Amino acid sequence: MLFNTPQFFLFLAAALVLFHAAPRAGRKYILLAASYFFYATWNPKFLALLFTLTAIDYSAGMALERFARKKLILIVSLAANLGFLGFFKYYNFLAANLAALLGRPMRSFWLDIVLPLGISFHTFQSMSYVVDVYRGEQRAIRNPIDYALFICFFPQLVAGPIVRAREFFRDLLDRRPPNGGDISRGLFLLVLGLTKKMAFADPFAILADGYFSNTAGAPGRLTAWSGVLAFGLQIYFDFSGYTDMAIGMAKLLGFHFPVNFRRPYLASSITEFWRRWHISLSRWLRDYLYIPLGGNRRGAATTYRNLMLTMLLGGLWHGASWNFVIWGGYHGVWLSLERMARGDRPAGQERSWWYPLQALATFGLVLIGWVFFRAKDLPESLYILRQMFTGAPGRILIEPWHWGLAAVSLAVALAEEQFDWLERLAQAPGWAYATALTALWFCIEIFGVVDVSIPFVYFQF
Amino acid sequence: MSPPATAIHARTIAVFLTAFATLFGLDALLFRTRLYLSILEPGSTTGLFELTLRSERQAQAENGDNLVVTLGDSRFGYLPRLANELKPRSGYVFRSAGVAGSDPRSWYYMLRDLDPTARRYRAIVFGVDDYDDEDTYIDHDEDMRALHYAIVRLRLADAVDFTSSFRTWRSRWEAVRGIFLKGFVLQRDVQAFLSHPAKRIDEVRLNRRGFAYWTYTYDEDPRSLAGLQIDWAAWKASFPPSADPVQLNTVKHSLLRPVAPQTGHFAEFRRRWYGRILDRYRGSRTKIIFARLARGPVVRPDSLVRKKSASIREFASRPNVYLCAEHAFDSLERPELFKDAVHLNREGCARFSRMLVEEVAAILGKP
Repeated sequence: MLFNTPQFFLFLAAALVLFHAAPRAGRKYILLAASYFFYATWNPKFLALLFTLTAIDYSAGMALERFARKKLILIVSLAANLGFLGFFKYYNFLAANLAALLGRPMRSFWLDIVLPLGISFHTFQSMSYVVDVYRGEQRAIRNPIDYALFICFFPQLVAGPIVRAREFFRDLLDRRPPNGGDISRGLFLLVLGLTKKMAFADPFAILADGYFSNTAGAPGRLTAWSGVLAFGLQIYFDFSGYTDMAIGMAKLLGFHFPVNFRRPYLASSITEFWRRWHISLSRWLRDYLYIPLGGNRRGAATTYRNLMLTMLLGGLWHGASWNFVIWGGYHGVWLSLERMARGDRPAGQERSWWYPLQALATFGLVLIGWVFFRAKDLPESLYILRQMFTGAPGRILIEPWHWGLAAVSLAVALAEEQFDWLERLAQAPGWAYATALTALWFCIEIFGVVDVSIPFVYFQF
Repeated sequence: MSPPATAIHARTIAVFLTAFATLFGLDALLFRTRLYLSILEPGSTTGLFELTLRSERQAQAENGDNLVVTLGDSRFGYLPRLANELKPRSGYVFRSAGVAGSDPRSWYYMLRDLDPTARRYRAIVFGVDDYDDEDTYIDHDEDMRALHYAIVRLRLADAVDFTSSFRTWRSRWEAVRGIFLKGFVLQRDVQAFLSHPAKRIDEVRLNRRGFAYWTYTYDEDPRSLAGLQIDWAAWKASFPPSADPVQLNTVKHSLLRPVAPQTGHFAEFRRRWYGRILDRYRGSRTKIIFARLARGPVVRPDSLVRKKSASIREFASRPNVYLCAEHAFDSLERPELFKDAVHLNREGCARFSRMLVEEVAAILGKP
């Protein structure tokens, strides 16, 4: 059940009605049942996996507060999470590499494994809880229903944002119903996210899919750049649209999730890009990987090593392929180079007069990175890069109306950067709020891809 | 002090209702007035349908009282220009409001606006593949092209009627969404316009000036399938050496096709939409005539034809409804008169045009 289908909106409407009609104490049961139902509509068999992981980490949390051998409990819990994640997501990757190493056919050790929906997200969320309890930053959750809901809460089960336990339980245990402002903002975010997905991401997805499905058939410099640009815009609107919807739905249910995107394509450096892109993952990697590795406290060389390791693993988290590792490494190299150039000074907080050039250059570097992210393998990535820099001119894939969409979104992003008005729009005078909603719906009506449901990019992770 | 929650909820509801009403108004302003419709892409399904309607409205004003209009899809290969060469003998002016790919569902909405009083024509002639009903693998109920052809003609009052004529909920949703917010159906047209507005305006101007003339003076392709033979026992076709891919494909898909399961959906579809058209013309002076078209360059053997019902024959029992002689056009069923497996070629169209006039004039009598 994709977020951009009528079926999902029927499900959401039913869940909201039941949630708001139920007494406060019973609401979490409604949410838990709705979340399991949502997950089961994809593949009910994998509910067992979700139950198992929930049981393991719930027990680990309890055990960490009761028993002295905390490290062992932590290791068991992390091993279980990483074991499941590793098996489902990375087994075939490792098997294929082993086969290649032994000179055997690629599928010698292959297993037909279906990747469980959202496993990368909920295992990371679950592991962060156990680590927080281990560190004493979070009290163990006594009620298994509460913990189960933390793992499977449907607005963010499939593709995040990855929420910290204390943020989630603050709202859950507070039991305060969503106030008028939450409802108003939540509905606006829901419409905004749907518009980003259907009217902005999907038209670019059609272009990008067309290009990446047959790169050899569409040679040329302009062709390659426009195909990659289309993907760059698709993935931003797709993922940030999904996140807006997730945050909006959570608000309608009384939860307040942190922001996950802050106009990343306006960043003036790769360092700043990662402070604006998929913030909940960047935060997770910083708190549970980069800092435990030593962060930047042990000299320059260790800092660069830590940056590289964090980004390589962050890349691998996205998918089991060398391309994702290279994508992570590519960003790691840029982060290290920027760190080297900057020294201990904080990354660009102030805008200089040449900010537009910096932003453009950063955007270009990010686009080059997306080649590894989207291409099916390394040879194809290299082919596209060759086309981008040394190919014949070719033809631009993007139609004038697509440029119009991109220009509108850039204008909105610049205005948002300056005035932060989108978030406040829900509290603006009624006519302004209504005009904004009309504009968003009209975008869906005229530009939205409505004949087919294009899956969210991050649903595959 | 912040306002109470109920006041905020009421405000949110009011804002959403206002936003939706504004969206509906904006959509209506663009797509229910001439504002956008005057610049529809002439080559699109909607654009072609509307140009045809416009051209036939003009023809009503220019021609006398003895108009005969024909409706059919691309298989109805006759040329009004040739039919009208026989006007001194027949006394009737022939016009065509058919659009390739259209079906009785879209014709109903075409006729409703083309002939609002149901008295404008002396006869309406429908070209049909057969008077009997044989289900094929084409699912007419689910053909969303009808929505695109008729979108400009559809009114809010058609929401239930039109929507319920699709079988699946998915199609019904698409149809009802399109009727309420026409921009959903016309979005590709708008996107193309936004990409090349000047080019579109030029095309529209050109088509306004020339469409009626081009379609009236159109001449069919002279290619033929002469030499085509089908060995039904071996399920194999022998083509003339000059056969092109389109000809090969249409023979494969239209003639050498397996028998489809007989669901009765096609009969139901015909009863529903022709039935509604006939109901509109009940008691009118306009006669409704059905003509069975030449079936193909080679006729499928009886063993491959399933006929469980005959909706068109049933219609003939109604007053004012006539059927051309069933085998009137059988003589055209020859490979040399077809350009592919389904369409008559230039010579076939020429012969058919004259034969059709004879048949229709015989039914109508002297004006």
